[in-house]
Amino acid sequence: MRYLLVDRFLELEVGRRAVARKCVSRGERFWKDLPEYPAPLVLEALLQTAGHLTRAALGFKRSTMLGKIESAEFPGEALPGDTIRLEVNIVGRRPEGNLCEGTADVDGRVVGRARFLILFMPPDREPVATPYVLDRRRRFLQAVGIKKRGDS
Amino acid sequence: MLDEQQIVAKVRTCVATALGKDEDEVTQEKVLSRDLEAESIDYLDITFQLEKAFGITIQKDELFPQKIFQDDAFVKDGVVTPKGVAYLREKLPFADLSGFQRDPKVARVPELFTVGLLVNYVKTKLGR
Repeated sequence: MRYLLVDRFLELEVGRRAVARKCVSRGERFWKDLPEYPAPLVLEALLQTAGHLTRAALGFKRSTMLGKIESAEFPGEALPGDTIRLEVNIVGRRPEGNLCEGTADVDGRVVGRARFLILFMPPDREPVATPYVLDRRRRFLQAVGIKKRGDS
Repeated sequence: MLDEQQIVAKVRTCVATALGKDEDEVTQEKVLSRDLEAESIDYLDITFQLEKAFGITIQKDELFPQKIFQDDAFVKDGVVTPKGVAYLREKLPFADLSGFQRDPKVARVPELFTVGLLVNYVKTKLGR
């Protein structure tokens, strides 16, 4: 994943919902000239939250990909220094993946809302689970608070 | 128990939600792909919507059998073979294949999938 837009998981109910946090910094290198945090990145943060929630159901052993954005709206803006709360609920579950609804808010003010499909990666497109990949995955899950240090 | 009108209304809502269309546009004779611009991922989305709306479980390939496009025994030179037609008949007992059988080009398979077919599927699934 090139852009990691989730800083911390606050709640993770496998197969049901997740709540995560994204701290907005003006220093993010992909933030160009807009005064507000770009809406597509708010959406991407919701999608990443949903991706981890979906992967959690299979012990993070499978990768996920975005299937489709059914709807998305951005009624507010996030600014540097804001903390975006990302809540994702699974509203439909199938072997192929999940139908999810996500809401991003800053202190209760909604800045993004979306409904989308997160799918499991087809087995023939899964990255090879080399020791490097597994270690990077473990360190990421520890960093965002999904796993504790020392967990495998 | 849902009556036919309620089933039709819910199916139309499901399709409209999945495809981002007005419900007025989603009438029973409409072909999902040709008339409502459904793409491959939309069929999965419709499956999610139907499961949620009707509280049913739809197995993979139960409603939209992909195998017809993947198995060489089912298609030869762009035409669905008798074995392929039999497969479609088995998988889609709720579909009217009479028109398709007269000109069974594989390119015409997506035209079988109308809003009305989804209604018939749900009725079958609910034992109606």
